[in-house]
Amino acid sequence: MTSDKGNKLARVIAEDDLGDKLGTDPKLDNVSQKRIGDQLRAMYDDLVQQPVPDRFKDLLAELEGKGRETKK
Amino acid sequence: MTLEPDLRDALLAAVPSLRAFAISLSGQVDRADDLVQDTLLRALSNIHRFEPGTNLNAWLFTILRNLFHSDYRKRRREVEDPDGSYAGRLVVEPEQGAKLDFEDFRTALSKLPHDQREALLLVGASGFSYEEAAAICGCAVGTIKSRVNRARFRLASMLQVETDDDLGPDSMTRAALQTSS
Repeated sequence: MTSDKGNKLARVIAEDDLGDKLGTDPKLDNVSQKRIGDQLRAMYDDLVQQPVPDRFKDLLAELEGKGRETKK
Repeated sequence: MTLEPDLRDALLAAVPSLRAFAISLSGQVDRADDLVQDTLLRALSNIHRFEPGTNLNAWLFTILRNLFHSDYRKRRREVEDPDGSYAGRLVVEPEQGAKLDFEDFRTALSKLPHDQREALLLVGASGFSYEEAAAICGCAVGTIKSRVNRARFRLASMLQVETDDDLGPDSMTRAALQTSS
């Protein structure tokens, strides 16, 4: 595990490459890449787990009802 | 338009991931929900184009992504709004559902060029393969890989820089939230 390095978010290898004109794609070391990935998924999962607002259930229920009425 | 229960359930089941993608893409919950609603309506009116057995989520993400881009282009035409100032407004306030723990990360994410942000979200968060993400964005697989790499690199750089800064993102975010309320 890398818990001893936990206070730093990420280590960047080549900071000089930060400009807009990049000759080659920059590379991150594996530890940084994993940290970025973990944070991204944690943030995203938090959003995915939010309850679905009623407006979407209502919208789909309404559309389903309309479909049934116009069916012959 | 008929909406069969199976399709309704499938669409409803896709809403959480569509919302997460839309919120992360736009940084604004209200706008994201409008995007998701437009996506559902667009999907239903084009449902005959959907091939059963293929990935419904990927198809819905494609629609949402295209709607976001045309909306984004329209907004940029209406208001001259270069990337920098646009990114500055992309703050999801905690009471809208974001946890404060993720503020630094969200702020950094909002500063990415939008093509890099969407590639990273599709591959790194939504769980699509590089091939699926390329199909959703209408570009080459290599382009997606490159964008994801650059996105990770930039995020790492920004987060690293900000943790070493005395005027860190926490105090700046708090100040921004205070002045905007």
